[in-house]
Amino acid sequence: MDNFEKHIRSNAGQFNGHKADRAKIWAKIAADLNREEPKVIPLWRRPIFRIAASVLLLVGVTAFLGSTWIGMGENTQYVSEELMEIDMYYKDLVSYQVQLVEKNPSLSKEDKTEFLSFMDELDAEYDVLKQEMQKNLDNERVLEAIVGNYKKRIELIENLLRQLNDSKKLEDDYEYTL
Amino acid sequence: METDIRFTHKSIVEQCKAGNTSSQYELYSYYVDAMYNVGMRFLGNTEDAEDIVQDSFVDAFKNLENFKYESTFGAWLKRIVINKSINHLKAKRVPVIPMDAHELCLTDEEPSEADTTDIGKVKKGIDLLPDGYREIINLYLIEGYDHVEIGEILGISTSTSKSQYHRAKKKLLDIINEL
Repeated sequence: MDNFEKHIRSNAGQFNGHKADRAKIWAKIAADLNREEPKVIPLWRRPIFRIAASVLLLVGVTAFLGSTWIGMGENTQYVSEELMEIDMYYKDLVSYQVQLVEKNPSLSKEDKTEFLSFMDELDAEYDVLKQEMQKNLDNERVLEAIVGNYKKRIELIENLLRQLNDSKKLEDDYEYTL
Repeated sequence: METDIRFTHKSIVEQCKAGNTSSQYELYSYYVDAMYNVGMRFLGNTEDAEDIVQDSFVDAFKNLENFKYESTFGAWLKRIVINKSINHLKAKRVPVIPMDAHELCLTDEEPSEADTTDIGKVKKGIDLLPDGYREIINLYLIEGYDHVEIGEILGISTSTSKSQYHRAKKKLLDIINEL
């Protein structure tokens, strides 16, 4: 560093000859700080947004857990393979027999609709029982009720079919007597 | 030891961090003149200097949590003012004055140092320098930054800072001798 540089640096204070207009500059600073303060606070830092975010998070988590729980419930609605097989077996049997009834030519329309309305009632009961089962997976009474429901349907169908067969026999007998 | 120069005004700074307005004003009143002079040296007019100082204080107060006493508060604030001044000059400067254009005017001989003791003349001489030269003279001679720091501020290499400073100094001495 040469003499010139040393001289300037040691007298740098003399370069500070200007006086700032303190009041004027501060007025602007204060206005700026006051005006922009609410803007500056990031959304997530404001207390109200924190609360809102917490609530939202809570709702979100609940919804997520709820949906996964329901999803799990749907996946595990059959407690065991055995139960699932039973359910499948009865379901197939019922639908097969319902088809038999529907296709039977010797039944009148009224008889069919009456029979099918019974079946619909039992279907509705079955749906309620299934929902109940999602809530109480291990509830034996619900399981029993479901099986009972299926049995009732089968019984109904069997009765109907037996009646049909009986009437056929009667008709056959009648023909013979003629 | 808390007597470290970096912790000057620490309690006021801490209160400002907490958002205390009267502490903000106190800190402002300590530094406003110095910062205004920095602005005046770089920008050369009252309006620009006031705008830059105002902007710098607002920025400083808003970002005070980033100030970790790695330097004095004054040095931190001054750096903000200087960065803003230089950005302002960059934005305003329509054609960038190429440093090399002045090279032809320079001679290799060191100008005599006859009048350089007169600070008033030096001030005038600095005012007459082209913007680029004035920036580097201000940064090195008056603000007291070294070439590494100037390189950071101006976004140039340390060696460029050195060579430009030497050119600027020669130009300044020429101007002073002609006054």
